[in-house]
Amino acid sequence: MNHFEYLQPTDLAEASRLLGDGPDEAMIFAGGTDMLSLLKDDVVAPRKLINIKGIPGLDDIRYTPGNGLVLGPLVTIRAIKENPTIREHYPVLAEAADVLASPQLRNLGTLGGNLCQRPRCWYFRGDFDCLRKGGATCYALEGRNKYHCIIGGHPCVIVHPSDMAVALLALDAKVTIYTPEETRQIPLNEFFVRPAEDYEREHVLKPGEIMSRIEVPAPPSGMLSGYRKFMERAVWDFAVVSVAAVFTRSGDRITGGRVSFGGVAPVPWQDEAFNRKLSGLRLTKRSVTDACKTLLSGAEPLSENAFKLPLARNLTGSLLLELAGVPL
Amino acid sequence: MARKIIKSKYFVEEDFVEVLAEVPAGGSSPLPTNQEMKVIGRPVTRLDGYDKVSGTARYTFDINLPHLAHARTLRSPYAHARITAIDAREAAKMPGVLGIIHYQNVDQIPWYGSSFLFDPHLRYVGDEVACVAAETEAAASAALKRIKVEYEELPFVVDAAAAMKQNAPAIHEGGNIQGGKPAVYARGDFDAGLAEADVVVEETFTTQVEVHNPTEVHCSVVNWEGDRLTVWDSTQAIFSVRDTVAQSLGLPASQVRVIKRYMGGGFGSKLTTGKYTVMAALLAQRIGRPVRITLDREEMNLAVGNRPDSVQKLTVAAKKDGTLSAMSHWSYGAVGAYPSGAACSWPLRTIYQCPNVKTEEYSVFINAGPGRPFRAPGHVQGTFALESILDDVAEKLAMDPLEFRRKNHATIDQVMNLPYTSKKLLEAYDAGAKAIGWDRRRKVPGADKGRYQRGLGFASQIWWGAGTPPAGCILKLNRDGSVRLIAGTQDIGTGTYTVMAQVAAEILEIPIERIQVNLGDTAVGPYCPLSGGSLTTPSVTPAVADAALQMKEKLLSAAAAILEVPQGELVYQRGEVRHTGDTSKKKTIVEILREMREQTLLTYGARNANPEGYAINSFGAQFAEVEVDTLTGHVKVIKVVAAHDIGRAVNRLTLENQFHGGILQGIGFALMEERVIDPQTGKVLTVNLHDYKMPTIMDMPEIEVIIVSEADTKISNVGAKGVGEPAMIPTPGAIANAIYNAIGVRLHSLPMTPDKILMALAQKG
Repeated sequence: MNHFEYLQPTDLAEASRLLGDGPDEAMIFAGGTDMLSLLKDDVVAPRKLINIKGIPGLDDIRYTPGNGLVLGPLVTIRAIKENPTIREHYPVLAEAADVLASPQLRNLGTLGGNLCQRPRCWYFRGDFDCLRKGGATCYALEGRNKYHCIIGGHPCVIVHPSDMAVALLALDAKVTIYTPEETRQIPLNEFFVRPAEDYEREHVLKPGEIMSRIEVPAPPSGMLSGYRKFMERAVWDFAVVSVAAVFTRSGDRITGGRVSFGGVAPVPWQDEAFNRKLSGLRLTKRSVTDACKTLLSGAEPLSENAFKLPLARNLTGSLLLELAGVPL
Repeated sequence: MARKIIKSKYFVEEDFVEVLAEVPAGGSSPLPTNQEMKVIGRPVTRLDGYDKVSGTARYTFDINLPHLAHARTLRSPYAHARITAIDAREAAKMPGVLGIIHYQNVDQIPWYGSSFLFDPHLRYVGDEVACVAAETEAAASAALKRIKVEYEELPFVVDAAAAMKQNAPAIHEGGNIQGGKPAVYARGDFDAGLAEADVVVEETFTTQVEVHNPTEVHCSVVNWEGDRLTVWDSTQAIFSVRDTVAQSLGLPASQVRVIKRYMGGGFGSKLTTGKYTVMAALLAQRIGRPVRITLDREEMNLAVGNRPDSVQKLTVAAKKDGTLSAMSHWSYGAVGAYPSGAACSWPLRTIYQCPNVKTEEYSVFINAGPGRPFRAPGHVQGTFALESILDDVAEKLAMDPLEFRRKNHATIDQVMNLPYTSKKLLEAYDAGAKAIGWDRRRKVPGADKGRYQRGLGFASQIWWGAGTPPAGCILKLNRDGSVRLIAGTQDIGTGTYTVMAQVAAEILEIPIERIQVNLGDTAVGPYCPLSGGSLTTPSVTPAVADAALQMKEKLLSAAAAILEVPQGELVYQRGEVRHTGDTSKKKTIVEILREMREQTLLTYGARNANPEGYAINSFGAQFAEVEVDTLTGHVKVIKVVAAHDIGRAVNRLTLENQFHGGILQGIGFALMEERVIDPQTGKVLTVNLHDYKMPTIMDMPEIEVIIVSEADTKISNVGAKGVGEPAMIPTPGAIANAIYNAIGVRLHSLPMTPDKILMALAQKG
């Protein structure tokens, strides 16, 4: 771990200024659950750490019927998990928080940090001069890649590790970004950066920019939602594959909705074609299973992760049917 | 008490060893059965439980000394390389740096047989290059980055099959097959047995490298006082550490004292003396200060051992009536860069009756961290393969798997041609089958139709664990009538302090709170074996009993002198000596001690010799119920019943702890744990506890432990067999058979992860 300066600004403008020219100069420190291990493993080596926990107003949870939910980036995962309003109106979000990491990590980890965390790829975290760290090679392509992506990769085949992002993506959330000049808002799916665009970063924040708010639209009446995360052990792991589903129904048909995925791609993923098909889909075992057969059809699994495709399809089908109350 | 010296032959971890031992000349008289006991056999809570949960217990890392310096190790970043130059001058000038050692400034100290403490020929990622002592760990770590090393990279191989090929990079001069040839065994006539068989099944199984990853990392604190060295070490073998450190430093063993009080697990990884201990001692000598060296989790996953992987090709032949007629086992496994053992055919050779058996096993060098014994070396992987194929043979014979095992029950050790002192495996089958509800087992594998499919499976277990002399225990009475037990064994977290105190409390009939136990100090305790191979309880508790029985005699003699009556008229009861006629004449232990000089009542108990002409083994069967999620491939272990013959249970509570830990470790090996190496660089990818996946408490099934045995009176007065290793041996095999029963597809490769199960289900269609 390198030596660094530890700074504690009290407002966004100061924090933004301290962030300077980018990650080599300064990085944001909030819950620290990811940052500390990145520092200790020498994956990052900023000269300054900017602790933003002293900035007031960034840990609010506000719900207004009709307008939806506003979350500050410093809201902890535990706060989301235990918030009765979120549990009632956005089960998918509460469920994603339920299965995230461990109680200790949920107590410390923040929503903003969770959305901005770095990939868990063992080459990226390990002693490898990999593409994402400025090297020439994505070692996972020819190496051990069971946990890597099956779609949207190349030239770097990480998966995005966030659970919360997958749930928020299915909820069509928006991210507000503070910049010294102006505050802008973008849809969450534009927040993440695919390797083909830039393989050294996972999100669009530029030097001096800080995520200041996450907004979730008001749930349509009768909205069903849920999150299913598949791990190789019962708890305390990142998703091998996860799926979030949000939809409305009328009778035995879906009237509209969205499904998103974790663990399959370098960014929280949506299969647009599948989402278009959701509207009108009959909620029977046969039609849902049939629809899932073409899910992620553009996938190009690596040498060791072909299993992720049936896993994602099976999880999706079972989640849709479970939410609809159709016996499997 | 009359004693004699004998030669004791016993099995420890991977091989038979012979030692000379002083033992009671008269053999041993068995203690009464557990039904007649008040303390032995009961679920006695740990004497050190409060210390551990309150943080009072001092582990090796907690040893703090004035002027303590801290050491960190520079390790090879290459799988195979030669150091051509090393320059530590810049590192030495960094703030806080006190000393740096490497191959150019340290004598060549032999290590691993043919290598050295610092060998410029580096054979795996993690091999030791240099070691730095500094004021803080952080300063030492910073200095590591400034040591300039020039490496000549050499071709490497990290796969056993590739390493066995003719043109593979040679890791050692003699080639990559350890010993130059396979270990072979044969009895009977395999081909004849094959010829008379009605069913022949041949299958290949593979198992992965498993890393011990005990909770407590490896750590030593060393301190010189003149030319005498004290070593606090987290070790399963204080005397081995003493001897290796003394030999490495050219000291008489008497000048090295090794201390280990508390330990957070070892599982075999702490049976071997670590290079880190000797490096710390060398640095401490140079800088004139005590040194602590603590490995981090990455080093734990690189450089302190592992269970070698295996590729096992088995052939099993049986007659129509279910009689085994021939079995063969051909295997190889990667022992890493330095000598270890990858053999795993022992269960196949001995546990079932079969006249015609042959085995051929290769231990193969690769450019990876060297193997070390791991909770039942060879047996866990061997049992998985054997029990899997036996279920397949039973299915072809249309026999119930349990009936098939019963049919081939072995009554003698077929390798040594000796009867067993006791073998209650049939009783374990009955008790285990009843407890799990074996009659619920699906007769057709994969019969369940829904998303979740359940199955039952079982596997048997054989292990040594007889215990052995020499194992000594000093028992002394304090002035206040309390008892102190002193022995050179070590409690590695299993409850040794408590079980020893139980035996003394039982025999002396005093409350266990009045007994203190001092273990883990080579300067004060009489020699006891290392704590591995399930040796500890069966070795040391008989010595405690011997010492306590002698003490009773001494107390009678002392009371006779005080009361001025013949000793024959006195009896010992509940911590008191009473006259059989005159009830007014009695003396408590405290009263006797008050009239004697401090600590003059002292006895030395010794473990008896094992009986000649017998094989001593533990046996057991574990039954597992699993539920497979056919949509995800996830296996949930619902319940494990462990029915075992382990002689006498000394402490029901710590015994169950051992089973809980062993079974959970077995679940880890069966379902998730795996060391993964990058084939492009030879670097280990699973160097933390996220990537190296171990089960959590949420993965723990319901566990029922059934002990079908009483004391094995042929072994010793206590009659216990060890349970550490038996607890884990059959778990993966039982789970594998349960998975087959659930989904109807046989998995031949551990760990049985969801991806393998999903792909297998897809192929089944």
